[in-house]
This record gives sequence, structure tokens and C-alpha cells, in this order.
Amino acid sequence: MQFLLIYLCALGVLWMAKYSMGLSDYLIPSPAEVVSVSMLHWTKYSMAVLNTAAVAAAGHMLAIALALIVALAARTGSYVASLTRTAAFNLQAYPIVAVAPIIFLFLGDGIASRLLISAIICYFPLLLSFIGIFSTPVEAVEHFYNVTGRSTWRLQVKVRSFENMDKLITVTVGSGTLAMVGAIVAEFLAATHGIGYVIRKALYQSNLAKILVCLFLIGLCSSLYLSAVEATGAFCKKRLTGS
Amino acid sequence: MLIEGKDITYRYTGEPDPVFSQLCFSIRGPGFISLFGLSGTGKSTLARIISKEIIPERGTLNIQHGLTILYSHNAERLPGWCTVGEHIQRVSTKGSDTLFRELVRELAVEAIMESRFRELSMGQKNRVNLLRYLLQDFDVLIGDEILSNVDEPTRNHILGTIKHYFPTKTFLYISHNALEVVRFSKQILVLPVNTGSAHRRMISMPGLDLAKEDYQPHGLQQRVMQLLQAATGHEPVEAVANHGSTGTGVLEAV
Repeated sequence: MQFLLIYLCALGVLWMAKYSMGLSDYLIPSPAEVVSVSMLHWTKYSMAVLNTAAVAAAGHMLAIALALIVALAARTGSYVASLTRTAAFNLQAYPIVAVAPIIFLFLGDGIASRLLISAIICYFPLLLSFIGIFSTPVEAVEHFYNVTGRSTWRLQVKVRSFENMDKLITVTVGSGTLAMVGAIVAEFLAATHGIGYVIRKALYQSNLAKILVCLFLIGLCSSLYLSAVEATGAFCKKRLTGS
Repeated sequence: MLIEGKDITYRYTGEPDPVFSQLCFSIRGPGFISLFGLSGTGKSTLARIISKEIIPERGTLNIQHGLTILYSHNAERLPGWCTVGEHIQRVSTKGSDTLFRELVRELAVEAIMESRFRELSMGQKNRVNLLRYLLQDFDVLIGDEILSNVDEPTRNHILGTIKHYFPTKTFLYISHNALEVVRFSKQILVLPVNTGSAHRRMISMPGLDLAKEDYQPHGLQQRVMQLLQAATGHEPVEAVANHGSTGTGVLEAV
């Protein structure tokens, strides 16, 4: 609902500018044209955005798994842990548009490239949070396990994850947006499917009406995906805390 | 059972002055022994040194071989993913079922076994935390203000229960409550207030070593006065006595 309000406000500003400054339909399409384009391409664009969302969701899950593995390895103070952490940080230093051509060269313009780019874009905030959470002891809870000799790395991770559950949910939801962005960027750069590919074609046709419809669908789909992730987090929290 | 510290010096990182310097002490168990002192005198630090959580800068700590020393403090929390009862049963040593049931009754925590830790009052939190430690295999249990949020009658009952159920174990009880320290301890180790001298001596004095909840035993007030005088280092006994209180008010008045 909030997304719809923001989207309509943005459209309103655009059309106010168009009519107040007398801009042509070529530059900013009329409301009628936007409605007409949306009626004509509704099904095709909806399928494209669902395709993108599916890739983003898969990329998001892949990033969570990657970040978990790297953070678990990096939480210890060993040399391998340090190397893993440095490699993870260095990888993030390269802009994705610079790395993307290599990915497309090796993996082609299919789903694998989109999935990988989506995962790479959203994994870094996940990694930083996971490393921070897993490597910071919760002394008040862990003390008992430490003094009684029951502490294991699994238990430490369990305690620290549980105690920082709100942080974990927030960063997971936030990174979901980045996963969507990553999938769209990949599609825009070189892929042959998804809403990013549709936007690229619309750009070549200089058709802003199509782009506006795509933006609406992207926003709608992102909101629904993030709500689903948030609801899953809330459900897990409720089950674990019993409240 | 013997724990001995010789010339123990400890300084927190970045601090110019040590918490204590060349401190010597001797703890002979079993029994209920208290570590008493005003705030900031280093009681918790010493407890953590004894339990080997931290290592002193200098000095030697001799602990009888094979002793299991557990250190518990009042800021501890139980994990929140299960109920109090589930957690305690999961972490109790094998074969402690009877003791578990009896201690649950004595510590009056039956009604909260199905609750989560966050749902408990501060006093209840203290009691369930103590309960799980009592169900461990230990020789020495250091309790750092572990009952600080529990009301006095219940606290007295719990301390009496500990002495009754664990006569062969050693308890090192850290508390600011002079009355209960005198009442229940067989030995009181006093860390005097830091008067600027680097070298502070630990004072050892006998307590009344009561097993029951006797509120006004003979000699209680006099012992409390002596204890407070030892802790503050300079207050004459007469001056403390003039305040005429036997509660924690004595400590405040000093």
C-alpha cells in the first residue's frame, strides 16, 4: 500500500512536470499511454518480473548460505579464517559492473550468471553482519557453558544467532532488496530474460511508458518478496522464543 | 581442599593502578566461606582469578589438583529458546534427578519451570541460575552476588539449604550483606578498601557458621561491627555501634 502511494506520487510529479512545462509525449508519456502499455504487456511483464524475483530469491538464498559458510570460517582466529575474510572483502572492492563481463564470458547469458551476480551483490552486508554476530560472545549466556566445559562452536553460534535474531532478520530482509537489484542489473547488462532485459529493450526503443510499468512491477514484486522474508523471520522468531 | 594465593597482583589493561598488589590468601574448604568488601575492592576480580578466568599479572595461585571450580555471577542469563525446566534438565549432571526435585522445592521455583527466562522476575532469575550451578559436578562454587535480587528471608533459607545439601563442597560467597555473611560463613575473607597503598592485606575472620535461619544469634551484631571495621579499614567499632542498626543500614551509615 505504501509502495503504491509512493509510486503514484512519483508519477504525479512526473506528469506535473510534463504538463506544466509542456513536455512532449516522446519524453514523458501521457497517463493514457502508460495505461495502454500496461494493459497490452501486463501478462508478459508480470512473467518477466516473476522470473527476476525467482532468480533474486535463489540468489538471496545462495548469498545467505555463502555468507554463513564464510562467517563461520572467519569467526575463528586462524590463518585460513583471516585469508577467507580478506578474500571476501577484496571481492567486494570490485564494482559488480566490472566483474559482470567476466561472469558472462565464463557462464554465458543464462540463469547461472544472473544468479551469481544477484548473490554477489547481496552477500556482503550479510557477511559483515554474520561475522560481527558470530564472533561476538554473549557473555551473559555463554559463561555457564564455558565454565562447565559444555561450550562448542555450534552452541556458540546458536546462542549468538538467537540473541541477535532481530539483527539477523533485519539484515536478511535488507539484503533481499539488493538481491533483486543484482538480478535486474545482471539482466540489464547481458541476460536474455527477466524484467531487466525488458527495461533494456524499452531503453533502446526510448519507451518510457514501458519502463514506468516495469518499475511499478519491480516495486510491487520487491515489496511482496521482502514482506514474505520478513514474515518468515517473524514466524521463526515466534517459534524459537515462544512468544 | 585448599586454594592459596601468594603475592597476587592484577591490573586491568590500560589502568595505571593494580586492583590489588601482592595479595596473599588461603581458603580451606569444605564449608561456606565468604568474600566480603566494599564496592570496587576487587572481589569479582579475585573470584575470576581463582576460577582461572583471568590470569594474574604476578604471583602464584596454588589450587589442589583436580578441583572443579565454578564461578557464577548475577548477570548470567539462561538461553531463551527453551523453558527454564527444559534447560536445567538438559544441563544437569546425570543421576541428579532426586537432588533436582528437592532443590526445585527448596528454592521455590516449581511454578516457573515451564516459563522462559525473560518472563521471570529478577529474584526468580537469580534462583534458577543458582539451581543449574548446584546441579553441576563441582568442588568449589563461587557465587558472585548470585542472590542479590532475592528477598532476605528466601535468601537465608536458600543459604541454609546449600549448607544442608552440600556439606562436603566449598562455597565462596561474595556479598555486600554483612549480616548474612557473618551469619552463615565459617570463614570470612575481607578485602579492605583501597586506601592508596599498593599493598593491601586480606583479612580473615571467623563467621558464626549457622545452618538455620536464626535471625538474632548471640554475638551477631559484634561480628558485623568487626567485619565492617575490617572492610573499611579505619572506622572505630564504637562509631559504627552508635548507629545502632543491625541491617544493611550499618553499611550505609559507615
